Amino acid sequence: MTAILREHAEQQFAEELAVLAQIDERPRPPNWNISPWAVSTYILGDTLDNGFLISPKYIGQRRLIEIAIATLATDRALLLLGVPGTAKTWVSEHLAAAISGDSTLIVQGTAGTSEEAIRYGWNYASLLAKGPTGEALVPSPVMRAMREGKIARVEELTRIPADVQDSLITILSEKTLPIPELNTEAQAIKGFNLIATANNRDRGINELSSALKRRFNTVVLPVPETADEEVEIVQRRVESLGRALELPAEPPALEEIRRVVTIFRELREGKTSDGKTKIKSPSGSMSTAEAISVVNSGLALAAHFGDGRLRARDIAAGLVGAVVKDPVQDRVVWLEYLETVAKERDGWKDLYRACREI
Amino acid sequence: MSIQIFGIRHHGPGSARSLRDALESLQPDLILVEGPPDAADVLSLLRHPAMQPPVALLIHVFDDPKRSVFYPFAIFSPEWQALQYALTHNVTARFMDLPQAHQLAFEPQISDIKSGRYQDPLRRLAEAAGYTDGEQWWEMMVEERSDGYDLFAAIFEAMSALRESFPVIDNPIEAQREAFMRQTIRVASREGFQRIAVVCGAWHAPALDINSKSTPSAKNDAAQLKGLLKTKVRATWVPWTNGRLSLQSGYGAGITSPGWYQHLWAARDNVAIRWMVQVAQLLRGEDLDVSPANVIEAIRLAETLTALRGRSSPGLTELNEATQTVLCFGSNLPLRLIHDKLIVGETLGQVPAETPMPPIQQDLHREQKRLRLPAEAGERTLDLDLRRATDLDRSRLLHRLTLLRVPWGESQRVTGKGSTFHEIWRLRWQPEFVVAVIEASIWGKTILEAATAYVRDVAGGADDLPGLTNLLDRALLADLPDAIGRLMERLQSVAALTSDATQMMGALPPLANIMRYGNVRKTDATMVGEILDGLVARICIGLPGACASLNDEAAAIIFEHIIRTNSAINLLRNDDYSKQWHNALLQMVDQRNLHGLVAGRCCRLLLDSTRLAAEEAALHLRLALSTANEPGQAATWVEGFLKGSGLLLLHDETLSRVLDDWVTRIHRESFTMILPLLRRTFATFTTSERRQIGERVKSGMKVAAGPTFSLQSARADFDQARAEAVLPLVAKLLGVEID
Repeated sequence: MTAILREHAEQQFAEELAVLAQIDERPRPPNWNISPWAVSTYILGDTLDNGFLISPKYIGQRRLIEIAIATLATDRALLLLGVPGTAKTWVSEHLAAAISGDSTLIVQGTAGTSEEAIRYGWNYASLLAKGPTGEALVPSPVMRAMREGKIARVEELTRIPADVQDSLITILSEKTLPIPELNTEAQAIKGFNLIATANNRDRGINELSSALKRRFNTVVLPVPETADEEVEIVQRRVESLGRALELPAEPPALEEIRRVVTIFRELREGKTSDGKTKIKSPSGSMSTAEAISVVNSGLALAAHFGDGRLRARDIAAGLVGAVVKDPVQDRVVWLEYLETVAKERDGWKDLYRACREI
Repeated sequence: MSIQIFGIRHHGPGSARSLRDALESLQPDLILVEGPPDAADVLSLLRHPAMQPPVALLIHVFDDPKRSVFYPFAIFSPEWQALQYALTHNVTARFMDLPQAHQLAFEPQISDIKSGRYQDPLRRLAEAAGYTDGEQWWEMMVEERSDGYDLFAAIFEAMSALRESFPVIDNPIEAQREAFMRQTIRVASREGFQRIAVVCGAWHAPALDINSKSTPSAKNDAAQLKGLLKTKVRATWVPWTNGRLSLQSGYGAGITSPGWYQHLWAARDNVAIRWMVQVAQLLRGEDLDVSPANVIEAIRLAETLTALRGRSSPGLTELNEATQTVLCFGSNLPLRLIHDKLIVGETLGQVPAETPMPPIQQDLHREQKRLRLPAEAGERTLDLDLRRATDLDRSRLLHRLTLLRVPWGESQRVTGKGSTFHEIWRLRWQPEFVVAVIEASIWGKTILEAATAYVRDVAGGADDLPGLTNLLDRALLADLPDAIGRLMERLQSVAALTSDATQMMGALPPLANIMRYGNVRKTDATMVGEILDGLVARICIGLPGACASLNDEAAAIIFEHIIRTNSAINLLRNDDYSKQWHNALLQMVDQRNLHGLVAGRCCRLLLDSTRLAAEEAALHLRLALSTANEPGQAATWVEGFLKGSGLLLLHDETLSRVLDDWVTRIHRESFTMILPLLRRTFATFTTSERRQIGERVKSGMKVAAGPTFSLQSARADFDQARAEAVLPLVAKLLGVEID
C-alpha cells in the first residue's frame, strides 16, 4: 500500500481500467482510452465476460450516466448539477479517469478564482527578463487538457465570479484559447472536453450566464431514490474509505448504517419513513456524503477508543455534528427528532441514549 | 387459394406500415380484420371524406347503452390501414371477431379477464431478449423499424413458440373468439376467395392457421360456438381522442404515447429530427429559448445515446433524455408540457354527419353547431356573459347536459364584480360522454325534452324539501319551463306537509337566489314568489318552537341555518318577510331556556337590523351574563352574539359601544368572574384582530376606524341632480333596469 492518503481514481482503479481497455473492442472516440460503452461499465460496475469484477462507482440511474458519457462523446461540455453530496465531483473524477486516464486537470472554483486559473498565467521572472515568450507562459489545467486532448474539470462552477466564468465561452464554442500577447492561440486537439460541477441549492451565488449555459448539457444528479440504494452507497464508500485509511475496526454492521441513513433521509425529507409523522428539517443539506462521513468517523472512534465494533455511541457524536449546523435552530430540530421519533422506535434505545448523553 | 395471416399490434405504426406494404404486394381479394361483425353496416363510412381518426366503433346493447364496448382506431392502427386499403382498392373487407351481440350478452365482469391477454406473453419474450419492458422491446423490434414482409412470419413464429410454452389461460370467451374467427376464415375460403389476408392481434395469429394440425377442426369449432347467448346491439362511429387511445376496451391493448406513434407514422424519414423540431417549436411557443443550434446538439446527443445503448435509431426515451439535458437545462418541468402536447397529443377525431346516431345525439350536434361550441379534446375555460343571447343559450345547454349526467362543462364559482350575470365553465369533452348522451335518449329526442322529462321524473320521486329546491335551482338555470311547473307543484305540496323548520330553512336560500337573480336569466319568478310567501310564514311560526331545548350539536346546526336564512331574507328585500322574520327573532330573544348560541345570535341579528336599539341589546347582554345564569349558558350566549365578528367589532361602532357600555358598568369583581366566559369567544379571533381591539380600547374608543358610510355623512353641498346623472350608466354596467 502506498503512503498517499487518497489516491486518484485512475490510480486506485488502475487494474479495472487496464482490463477494460484490453477487452474493449468497440469504437473509441479520438483520444479516448476506452469506448463509451466501457466507460459506462466502469462507472456502473458489472462482471465482465472473463469473470473480472468491475466495482460500481455510481449507484443510481443508469440513464444519467449514459447521458453524461454520450454528452462527452459529442464534444459538448457536461454540467453536473445537484444538491451538495450527490456525488457530482465523484462522477466527474471517474469520468475523467476512465476517458483520459487523468483526473488531475482540475480548476477548483472559488470566489477568488481568476481568469489566469482558467486560461493561462505568466512566470513573471521570465516575463520580465525575456518579454512575453512561450516559455514564460504558465498554462492552466484547462489549457493543458486542450493541448493534450484530455478531459478538464471545473469544480463548483457557480462559485466563480460571472465575468471569469464567461472566459470559458470561447473555449467551449470555438475549442480554442487565444493568446493575444504571443499573437497565437492554443487549439484543442480531439478528445478535449470539460466537465463542470455546480450546486443547484445555492444557485443564487453566481448564476451562469445564458450564453455559457447554452454551451453545456446539463445532467441533474438526484439524491438516492430509495433507502436501500442509499444504504448501499454508504456501505460501499465506508468500506473503501476504511480500507484507504487503514482503520483496524470491523466493517460496519449493515444495521448501524441503515439507522444512520434512515435518520438522514427522514430529516432531509421532513417526514418519517412510514410517512405518518411530519418533522422539521435542519438547515444543512443532510447529503449522502455526510452520512458516509458520519459512519466513517464512527468507525475511527470504534477502532481507536471503542472495542473495534461500530456501536451507537460511536456514531452519536458524528450524527449530532452533521445535523446541528446552526447551534440554535438545528438543535431544536434534533432534540425534537430524538424525542418524538428516535425514542419511540423499537431497538433505537441505545442510539437515543447515546445521543442524549452528548 | 392462399391464406396469409398478419399478426399485428393494435395501434402500432410499424405494424401498420409493414402491413400496408405487405398488402400492396399480396394484392388480396378478401381482407378479414379482427373486429366486431356487428359493425358491418357502418363499415362503408370509412371512405367518407369527413371521417377523421382517431375515431372508435361503439357497439352497445340496444336498450341498455351503458353496456357498451369501444374499438378505437388511429390513423396508425394496422386495422384502420387494412380497412382503408380494402375500401380504396375495392377489395372485400369483413370483421371476423366473435360478434359483440354474443359477447355483450354475457355478464359484464368478463371484460376484466380480457385486458391482460397481450401484455403478459410479450413480457416473457422481452425478458428472454434481455429487456425489462415488453412494450419497449416490441417497439424496438417491430414499431420503430421499417422492413416489411418477413416481419409477420417472424411474429407468427414467435407467437407460436409462446403459445406452446405458455398455454392459453382457460378462458371460454377467448376460445370462442378464436373459434369464430377460424369459422369466418373457413366460410370465406369456401366462398371461393383466392388470396385472403387475415389481420389479427399477434397473439391470435398461430391459432387462426386453419391448415395447421394443432388447431381445432371445423367440427370442434362449431360445437364450441353452439348455443351462444345473443342480444340486440347497435353499432356506430364516435369521435375519439388520442388521450383515450390508452383506454382498454374492445382491443385490449392501450398505448401510452399516441402522439409519438402518429409522428412515427407520418414522418417517413428523419424521424428524430422532425420530432426534435416539433419539440423546439412547442417550447418556443411557451417562451422557452430554443435555438436551432440547441436542436442540433440535442439530436447529436440522442444519436450518441442510441449508439451507446446499441440500438439502431433513437427512440422516444433517447429523444426525451436529450431534450431534458440540452433544451431544458436538466429541468424536467418542460417535459410534462411535451408529454401532454406532443407525446399524447390532444386531437379529437371526426365522424361524418351520415353516421347513424340517436336523435338526441343529432340534436346535441345541431346545438353545438348553432352555439359554436364544438367538442374539443383539450381543456378550455369559457366565460359566459348571460346578458348575451348566445351565451345564455350556451349556459342553458351546459346546465341541461349536466342534469343528464353528461359533465362536459364544470361550473366554476364566480366571485367579485359581475358575478350575477357571469358564468365560468371549464369544458373538456370525453369521448365516453357519447354513451351518456345515448343513454339519455330514453328521456326524449332532444336535449331539452330529455332534460325536462328527467327532471319531472326525479321531482315525482323526491320528497325532501332541500333536494327539491336544489333541483328547482338547477332546472331554472337549465331553463326547463315545463319541468318547473311540475317542480313547483311538488314543492308546494311537500312544503305544506313539512313541519321541520330546519328543512324549510335549508330550502329558503336557493329559492331566494332564484327570486333575486332570476331576472338576469329571464326566468319567470312569480311562481317562486308564491312558494316563498308560504315558506317564510311557516318558518317564522315554526322556528321558535323548533329551537326549544336544543343540545349543543343541534344548536350549532340551527345557528348556521338562522344566519343563512337571515341573509336570504335580507336578499329578498321584502318588508313583509323582514317584519315576520324579526318578530320571530324578537320572540326568541326573550324565550326562556333557549340555547345560548341561538339566543345570542338572534339578539345580534336584531341589533344589526336596528330592530333592537343599542341600549336594549346592551341590556340583553347584561342579562345574559348576569351571575344568576349558568356559566355555560352565558358563555354560549356571548359566543352566539360575537362569533366570527372580530373585524366587525373594530369597524361597527354600535356593536363595540354595546360591549363597551356593558363592560364599563359592570362591577369590578363580577368582571373578574365572567372574564373566562368572554375569553372563550375572544380567543377565537385572530391575533391581529385582538391586538387592534385592544389598541382601540386603549385609545379611548374615540376614533371610529375607517370612514362611515351613512346618509348622515352626506355633506350639505351634495348635488342630488349630478349624482343621479351617473345612474343610467351604472345601471347599464350592472345590467339592471331603473325606473
